Amino acid sequence: MATVTAMPARSRKQVVGRSRRTLAAAVALILFAIVLPFIPPFTGQDYQRYLVGAAYTAALAVAFDFTAGYIDIVNFGFAAFVGIGAYTSALLAVDLGLPPGLGLIAGAGAAGLVGLATGMLTLRLRGIYAAVMAWFVGLALMGLVRNLTDITRGSMGLNVPRLLGTDDNLPYYYVMLALLLVTIAVLTYVIRSNVGLAFRAIGQNLQAARASGINPTRFLVLNFTLSCAFAGLMGGFYAHYYTILTPDLMSTTRTIEVLAVAYIGGRGSLWGPAIIAFPLYIGTELLRTQLASLPGLHLVLYGLLLIVVMVYWPGGVAGVVRKTALWWERRSEKAADATTSSAS
Amino acid sequence: MLKITGLESGYELLQVLWGVDLHVDEGEFVALLGPNGAGKTTTLRAIAGYVPALHGSVTFRGQQISGMSPNKVSAAGIGYVSEALNLFPSMSIYENLLVGAYTVKDKAKIKANIDLVYELFPRLHERSGQLAGTLSGGERKMLAIGRGLMPSPSLLLVDEPSLGLAPIPTLAAFDALKQLSKRGVTILLVEQNVNTTLRIVDRAYVLEQGRIVLEGTGEQLLGDTHVQEAYLGI
Amino acid sequence: MTTATNLRTVPLARRFLTFTWGVVALVVLVLAIALIFQPSIFVDTLVTGGMWALMAGGLALVFGVMNIPNFAHGEMFMIGGLVSWVIYQPIRDAFLNDPKNMFLQVVGPIPGILVAAVVGFLVGVLLETVLFRALRKRSRDQWVMNTFLLTAGVSVMLVNGDRMVFGNDYRGVPRYWDVHSLQILGVPVAVDRIAVFVIAMISIGVFSYFLQRTRTGRAMRAVSQDETGAQMAGISLNRIFMLTMGLSCGLAALAGAALLSIFPNSPDVGVQPLYLAWYVVILAGLGNVQGAIAGAFIVSLLQTLAVTYLGLGWVDVAPTAVIILILLFKPSGLFGSEVKGVWEQ
Ligand SMILES: Nc1ncnc2c1ncn2[C@@H]1O[C@H](COP(=O)(O)OP(=O)(O)OP(=O)(O)O)[C@@H](O)[C@H]1O
Ligand SMILES: [Mg+2]
Repeated sequence: MATVTAMPARSRKQVVGRSRRTLAAAVALILFAIVLPFIPPFTGQDYQRYLVGAAYTAALAVAFDFTAGYIDIVNFGFAAFVGIGAYTSALLAVDLGLPPGLGLIAGAGAAGLVGLATGMLTLRLRGIYAAVMAWFVGLALMGLVRNLTDITRGSMGLNVPRLLGTDDNLPYYYVMLALLLVTIAVLTYVIRSNVGLAFRAIGQNLQAARASGINPTRFLVLNFTLSCAFAGLMGGFYAHYYTILTPDLMSTTRTIEVLAVAYIGGRGSLWGPAIIAFPLYIGTELLRTQLASLPGLHLVLYGLLLIVVMVYWPGGVAGVVRKTALWWERRSEKAADATTSSAS
Repeated sequence: MLKITGLESGYELLQVLWGVDLHVDEGEFVALLGPNGAGKTTTLRAIAGYVPALHGSVTFRGQQISGMSPNKVSAAGIGYVSEALNLFPSMSIYENLLVGAYTVKDKAKIKANIDLVYELFPRLHERSGQLAGTLSGGERKMLAIGRGLMPSPSLLLVDEPSLGLAPIPTLAAFDALKQLSKRGVTILLVEQNVNTTLRIVDRAYVLEQGRIVLEGTGEQLLGDTHVQEAYLGI
Repeated sequence: MTTATNLRTVPLARRFLTFTWGVVALVVLVLAIALIFQPSIFVDTLVTGGMWALMAGGLALVFGVMNIPNFAHGEMFMIGGLVSWVIYQPIRDAFLNDPKNMFLQVVGPIPGILVAAVVGFLVGVLLETVLFRALRKRSRDQWVMNTFLLTAGVSVMLVNGDRMVFGNDYRGVPRYWDVHSLQILGVPVAVDRIAVFVIAMISIGVFSYFLQRTRTGRAMRAVSQDETGAQMAGISLNRIFMLTMGLSCGLAALAGAALLSIFPNSPDVGVQPLYLAWYVVILAGLGNVQGAIAGAFIVSLLQTLAVTYLGLGWVDVAPTAVIILILLFKPSGLFGSEVKGVWEQ
């Protein structure tokens, strides 16, 4: 793949330095996420519930960004795949008594399969057509779940057993955090591999990618399927954590919430959405509980932030961080140059 | 009427014009010649307001027009017939002409101008109901020129009317321009077809690599050795 | 003078053998059968179809002229209903206190509906001048997708803004015109629904006339076909964009206001109309306004059939399935499309 040896010595040192710094930052962030529940005010059950929700949102945003940011397909039916995973896992547990842990895997598999089928249909289209197609497939899936009341109980809601034998939020937080980290790790691994290179090539210029011998459809479908499978995995967690399921979980509004987090965090970075989800989710949840007299305020903020990002701030938070890092590197490079030249 | 001084312009990553000076007087028929990629189209686009001027000025009847949006330039009385023509493919010839007269309020004037265009290009009259997207290359050129004439511009910028045309339609297009010029329309024409052009225009400029390198009457330039070597293959 | 001669060059028989005309013929056939055996299907199709035509026509217009796939179109429907409700309430109270006041009873709903359309227009103008113009200035890269997401943000904001200010309750009126139903083809039809149909027909007529025959309407079509060409003719893009967005949103708000008695206002009342408008627009081909108006009746028929034979829960699922098939096999829509170059954007 990337032939490091071909680079001039200085930039190789830079690259190594950069990746070491990135690794350090990642480890620090993970440690921070692990100790966070022991730092007030996060020691309280309420705050720990927010933490679970934040990690859950983060994982969804990462899975969403995996398609939106890398192959440039906006999966407007994303929430439906979360729902497929949730209902699969829940129904297996309710009707067959399958342990929730296995249910999560089954949910991921089911969502992945439906994602595979949808991808094979959708990804012949590009841009807005693909987005609209995914949107409509999502609506149709939601319609099915809503109407097959014999199985899903529809809008009446389905009661689901808990994942762990406890009501304490802390263990759920660690399970969700682990799921989030697994998601990031797997998807980052894929992105760094040859496959990821193909994703980028396709996302940037489909024709050019095709001309250079990449079969775009295969990669597009692979990406879409993976993203949907992770969505399904999180859906399973959702079902066994919140313990009540309604088809609303699959609505377009839910997709847009995830989409907003992904874009605010910064498209095409994975870590941007993952990190921004925490302050965003916890902040808006606090707003929601503090200002219960203003229902919807937190979503107004989501909408507003999404608008601002789309109009003025296309790279989101990750874009700003990247630019700052670049600026910083240039500056320190210049400083280094200045010292070496004055020394000689 | 039109006066350009020290115009520098271009695209995001590429400056194309490096100080163009030219002027067109009332009633004149002026050509702008030059090799491919010299910046002729860019000059017209800069006049018409589609690319910004980085330096220099463009004035029209003493009024500064560089920096104006294209529709304002058009409303100021400069018609522009682009290389790509930019017709409205799903509209009929007649409707294309009507849109061309968007800035004209007077119905009688619109009608008179349509009659004028039809007189100049009887072909358009015959096919007035046909959709522009289905016209032949020559007919499209006629329609584009006709649409450019609809607001009765005092200056008409025409970009390579001969492009992609067979010899006979090319001659017809030149003929139409000559007629227009006789009727008092001031024209700035961009052309590759140097020989014919120099025979019908009053004056011409030669643009090379974003700079004006020669200027003179048609006859002067026909006799110029550089023009003969580089453009006429003599 | 403006007969389209190019149509004549295609043999008549072949034109009628195409997929599109097959579908149209099928729709006409179903409607004809319905007319004989179950006139209520016929009536329902026409009444709701008219309103979806207003919604979808506006959506198609904005896509055709500005290349914006408006996700917030349903919220214009919601705003229309809200405005009409706010204005109509006091009028209604007035004539409920004075039941003999025939004038108020007959004319009362009209101001609300008209003001709703005007407010919708203004909201559209605001969206264009504040948001789309700013984005256009920054960059037109990936314009279609970016505006789609931008309008998704607008939608979330408006829905929840409404929830924040007015709460989650339904705000409806039982009827605008509280009189006996009329019998049409043996089917009792509420006067409200007849009024809805009449409003839709008048608006569609005026809208089509505006696009086809007026100077500004022609300029809109010109911009949709070639922006540069339109500018050459002295048309200000900003002005046309503003008017287009205003007109589109105004039509949606008008539909929301006219349908207030059937769709009581609530923050997410716009969701279903949005889906329907999108179904229609996909069916007709993105950006094809005339096709959208025709397609609205097809979708309305699908919906009516689904409700009649499958039950209320399937009202969206059945059309969705059909639309997915159309997207798969004929993504340019049943009626082709005037828009070019939207594929890879
Ligand atoms: N939109 C654009 N973006 C970037 N560069 C451009 C653009 N349009 C033209 N150019 C470049 O600007 C230069 C001048 O182009 P221009 O079209 O003005 O040449 P021209 O003299 O009209 O040539 P021709 O006779 O071939 O039409 C060319 O090198 C061209 O590649
Ligand atoms: Mg040129």
